[in-house]
Formats: sequence, structure tokens, C-alpha cells
Amino acid sequence: MWSSLAMIAVAAAILKLEAPYLKKRQLTKELRVFYFLLLSGTILSIAMLMNVELPNPMRLVHAVYKPLSDWYTSVLK
Amino acid sequence: MLDKGKISTRQLTIIVALFMVGSSILIIPSYLATYASQDAWISALLSIATGLAVLPLYIALGNKYPGKTLAQFMEDILGMWLGKAVSLFFLAAFPFTMAAFSLRNIGDFMTTQIMPDTPIQAIHIIFLIVVIIGVRLGLEPIMRAAEIIFPWFILLFVCFVIFISPQIKWENILPVLEGGMKPVIGAGVPFTAFPFMETAVFLMIFPHVNRPDRVGRALFWGIVIGGAVLFIITMMSVLVMGPDTTARLIYPSYALAKKISIGNFLERIEGLMAIIWFFTIYFKLTLLYYISVIGFAQSLSLKEYRFLTIPLGIILIVYSILISPNTSFWFEMYTTWALHAITLGLVLPALLLAVAAIRGKGAAKAAATSASEEQTQPDT
Repeated sequence: MWSSLAMIAVAAAILKLEAPYLKKRQLTKELRVFYFLLLSGTILSIAMLMNVELPNPMRLVHAVYKPLSDWYTSVLK
Repeated sequence: MLDKGKISTRQLTIIVALFMVGSSILIIPSYLATYASQDAWISALLSIATGLAVLPLYIALGNKYPGKTLAQFMEDILGMWLGKAVSLFFLAAFPFTMAAFSLRNIGDFMTTQIMPDTPIQAIHIIFLIVVIIGVRLGLEPIMRAAEIIFPWFILLFVCFVIFISPQIKWENILPVLEGGMKPVIGAGVPFTAFPFMETAVFLMIFPHVNRPDRVGRALFWGIVIGGAVLFIITMMSVLVMGPDTTARLIYPSYALAKKISIGNFLERIEGLMAIIWFFTIYFKLTLLYYISVIGFAQSLSLKEYRFLTIPLGIILIVYSILISPNTSFWFEMYTTWALHAITLGLVLPALLLAVAAIRGKGAAKAAATSASEEQTQPDT
């Protein structure tokens, strides 16, 4: 709970630090990308802090290449 | 271009060498010894040769589109939308994931060997803050820092090798080729992928080199220096501790540093020796993170990249924790990650080159028009 609030505070601080410069230069697209990334980063870290089980993309990579790696390790043994 | 920094060929050589050594110095000896036992050094030599053999591919691709980074010429080769999609996928799956792995390597190392009671997140956050400072300063300051650090890295490494050399037992590498060539090649495959195929990410900084004609030479020497360091550390681990102990340890280089003992005076200097990989992992991580951030900005045609560093950094920290549920997962992942790295570091550039050759003039024309468009827009 406290850690999530701290994370939100950190995100707000980052917003305060970065957004004014982008706003001043009227970079709307950049600003949108920034909001999107900051929001997803904050949500992901809060999920991690609350011990939510997040999918690991490496499991997918592992599953895709497993047959091939098994094959070459058995051939080159 | 987003970052107008220019780097010299010498700086490129240095950064390639530091990048090669990166986190591999910590974990490579253990792998090679697991699969090839006392012949680990032969695998290392084979992998270095293979790593150098794929260089012409990257050089050919880089020379075909001078002044453009990988993310930019992918759009020329594959068309705008497919190019953007492929380059975003490449960046997320290769440099960004590698950055997460490198961060995790240093986090795992610190929490298992030096600071066992500190939460891993704390180490990741502190390390990444320094990386973000580097990336925000731009390519040129990173390269200059690498140039300053490099002699110290070499000095520490040479001291390391000299201090440990009295304990060499030559019988540890005998008999040579006991199990034939097959396990030696088998051990070499993952080592070729990690770190040699990872040089593909340097396609993102080719346009920053001030002498484009000498990029090949710089890469060649960088890989030779980095490869030599990895070869020597593998050789030393096996020679001093024997193949079985090397294979059983997670961080053989660190265990090797612990064994240094000169005249009851130079003892337990492993903390000092750990600085070697702090430097190399820092530069590897900074370069990978810089490439991810700048590539992301180029793929989405943003006009600025510095604002991306902190939000992407938060995502990177979550990713680095998520990427392996425990310390040993990475060891299980190793061979599959190697194939992933070969796909993105070798097959993808080869495919790009083939598509570019087939499309030939059409692609060249598209490149010319997009270049002229860039010239007409003064701000980009």
C-alpha cells in the first residue's frame, strides 16, 4: 500500500520534471508517448510491488526455441 | 538525427571491446566448462573466429545505407509500416531485453556474492540511475568516459592475470579433445551468440562514426580485444580451478579473484577485481539502453529522446526483475536465448540484406526520396 503510494509520488515527480519542457516546445506527440510510457511503467511497478503474477516474455522465447536447442545439444554432445 | 554526436574509430573499438566483455566475463567460463570441460578454450577460439566471420554482413548492411541507423533503413527496406513494426520488435526483443539481462546479471551478482541482504531492486535502481545520466548526456560523453576507463580496465585485468598466474596447473587442460570435437562445437554455439551476435546492435551507431570507411576495422579490433579477454579469463579459470570446479560455480571469475594470494600480503582483493565487470557491464548496459531509447524515438519519428529515458527506465527495472524468476533461470535459458540472439543478430540482418538486394533500385529510390524529404524539413 505505502510502496504503491510512493511509486505514484515518484511518477508525479517525474511528470513534474519532464512534462513542462515538452509542453513548452509544443511536442504533442512526444507528450502523448511520454504519458503512455509513464502510465504503463507506473502500473507495471505497482503490479510488481503488489506481487501480481506478470507474464514473462522470456518464457515464450524459451518455448519457441526449446525444440531446436534440444536438437542441437543432443547432436553436439 | 536525434543525437548529433560523432565518435572516432578508436572510441568505437574501445566500446566494442567493453561491450563484448560486458557481463559475459562473469558467466561465460562456467558455461564453456560445463559443456566442453577442459577444452573450453578451444570453444572460445572457435567462437571468436565465428564472431569475426559474420562481421562482413554487418559492414555490408551498414555501407548500403550510409548515414542511417538500423531503425531508419529498416523502413527503407521493408516499407514504412512493416519497417516500423519490425524495428520496434527488434528493439524490444534484442537491445532492450539484453539490457534487462545485463542489469539482472549485476543485480544477481551483487545479491548473491557481495550484498546478500539488500533487495535486488535497490541495486537495479541505483545502477540504472547512473546509466540514465549517461544516456541523457548523449553518445559522445559515454564514449569519452569509455576512453578514460579503458586503460584502467586493462590495467586491472592484466594485474588479475599476473596475480593468479602462479597458481596455474597445466595438467588441468589435459587431455586435449578427450571427447572429440562435438562438445567443443556445442559449447561454442551459445558463446558465439552471446556476446558475438550481439554486435548487430552496433548497426544503430554506425552513422555516428566519423570515418565510415574504417568502421569494419574498428569492429574487428574491438571483437579481437574483447574476445581475447574472454578467452584469457576462461583459460585461467580452467587452468587454476580445473574444469569441474569452474563448471559448478556461478561466477568463476569472481571465485578466481578470491584465490589470489601473493606472499601473504595481497589477499582477498576480489572486491577490487569486481570493478572490472562493474565498468564493462556499465558500458554494455549504457550502450544497450541508449540504443533502445534512440531506436524507439527514431521508429516513432519523435523529435527528442531524452524524455524517454526515465519512463522506459521504470519499465526496464520491472522487466529486469520479471525476466528471470530466480538466479538459475538464466542458466536454463542460455541455449534458447542463444538461438534467439542468432535469429535477431544474424538471420534478420541477412534477410534485410537479401530483401534490399531483391528490391534493389526501388529501395534505393525510396531512400533517396526520404533523404531529400529530411533535408526539406529543417527541424528533424
